[in-house]
Amino acid sequence: MNNLTNKYLFALITSILITSSLLAQTGEISPERKQAIDSLALEKVRDLSKYISIIGSKNTAYSEATRVMDRAEELFAAGSEMGVSSLNTKEVNYYKVRKYFERLIALNYDRVSIKWYDIHYISDLERQPDGRYVGVVTIYQRFEGESADGMKYKDTTKKDITIYVERKKTQIQGRTVEFWDVLLGDIRVTETSI
Amino acid sequence: MILLNPIVPILTSWTATRAIPLIILLIMVGSPSQAQLVDDMADESKLYAESKQVNQFFRRFNGEEDEKGNRYYPRDKQYQSVKLRKKYFGTLFDEGNTGMSTSLKNDFSKHLLDNGRTVLLDFHGPNWFSEVNTVFTMNGKDQPVILFMELEKSHLGYKWVIRKIHADIFKRSFDRDTTKVGQFLHPLSHELDFMNLRKAFANSDSISQFTVKQFVPDHLTIFLYEIKKGNLKFKSVSEVKFHFFQIDGWYFELSDINRPGYNTGWLISNLMKLNNDAEKVLLSRYLYHETN
Repeated sequence: MNNLTNKYLFALITSILITSSLLAQTGEISPERKQAIDSLALEKVRDLSKYISIIGSKNTAYSEATRVMDRAEELFAAGSEMGVSSLNTKEVNYYKVRKYFERLIALNYDRVSIKWYDIHYISDLERQPDGRYVGVVTIYQRFEGESADGMKYKDTTKKDITIYVERKKTQIQGRTVEFWDVLLGDIRVTETSI
Repeated sequence: MILLNPIVPILTSWTATRAIPLIILLIMVGSPSQAQLVDDMADESKLYAESKQVNQFFRRFNGEEDEKGNRYYPRDKQYQSVKLRKKYFGTLFDEGNTGMSTSLKNDFSKHLLDNGRTVLLDFHGPNWFSEVNTVFTMNGKDQPVILFMELEKSHLGYKWVIRKIHADIFKRSFDRDTTKVGQFLHPLSHELDFMNLRKAFANSDSISQFTVKQFVPDHLTIFLYEIKKGNLKFKSVSEVKFHFFQIDGWYFELSDINRPGYNTGWLISNLMKLNNDAEKVLLSRYLYHETN
């Protein structure tokens, strides 16, 4: 198990221990557990935000960016995609998550600033046919790029991030512990005018 | 061990007993956000005002969250309270559509909120659906296709499923002028074992003239068939809307309004009073493009 997984697994288990008395067997999610899951989902989303800022920064060496991309990819369920659209066109372009990160590195600016609004919105969790829960976390990013000749580009994008929530089991010192795991899924990126 | 980013706390060796206090402490003090934050509060207030998800529209309509988007639960005093719902009501509409008069909105508000009524939207309930405008390609050309989708219970949860589709590309194949005599199979064709079918099917442009008058092509069947044959390929989603018939005697449309200001996000973009079931049926047929 790698370090990143350790970090989240530990946080998850701890959260569940804190709310262990609320753990029902029905598969229903109580408000208290929902809040614990929201916190964990937000932690992953914040890590993703941080990774995007590092990957997009022109101060990040390519080798470092590649390592961060690997870390960022670990946050996602397999096959996750980004659907990107701008104000000018209704058409959505779809990229695999890795491809999206690579495009971010390749952006032709000499200076890049990626900031995040201190606001998020977390949907209710809905149960899928397979028993897993799905939710959506919305965050906002401001991007500013400047080329050597002084040309500036800036946009604000809304990112609607799918989160998958699944109940899992693990062994800790011979004891089986149940916990809720959170993985990120598809992300819809919309340019927004504020 | 080399940490990729020293501000990310990574637990390399952990046991429940040693690390729990640390984690509890982290939860208590709150995990500081590592990414840079935008410090423009004026812009942020607009983002708070925006109806950011359809989920948030439901919650505001029903009075199930505070102004920061934190959910209320049935145990909370504010949950679905008329006072809270009245506060949100004015923010639910697209102010850019002047076709929705103030008196119409007032009537809608009275229907929802007066006399202690609890008329709510139900995410899992019937009588609402999504209109998903998409682009497919057929023979190398972009073709618009509208998917009408609804939530369906399945096994342990729910899923979105396609109820109907409408595609102009299919419609054109079935257009026919029923006012003209046109081509037909004469009434004694059966005596000749319908040997004149050979002539009927010779011209593909006129074959729809040989169906019953009431024939309505099922676009969804053709759509599935063409995709399976590899002739139709998905390209993109261009627009999503929702149509609600959940409130008795009323219809409204929900659209994503993306513009500067506070009146943005998922908003009611059309509102109609329905006087009887016939009007409801007529409007449904119009929305499904079943007007012929």
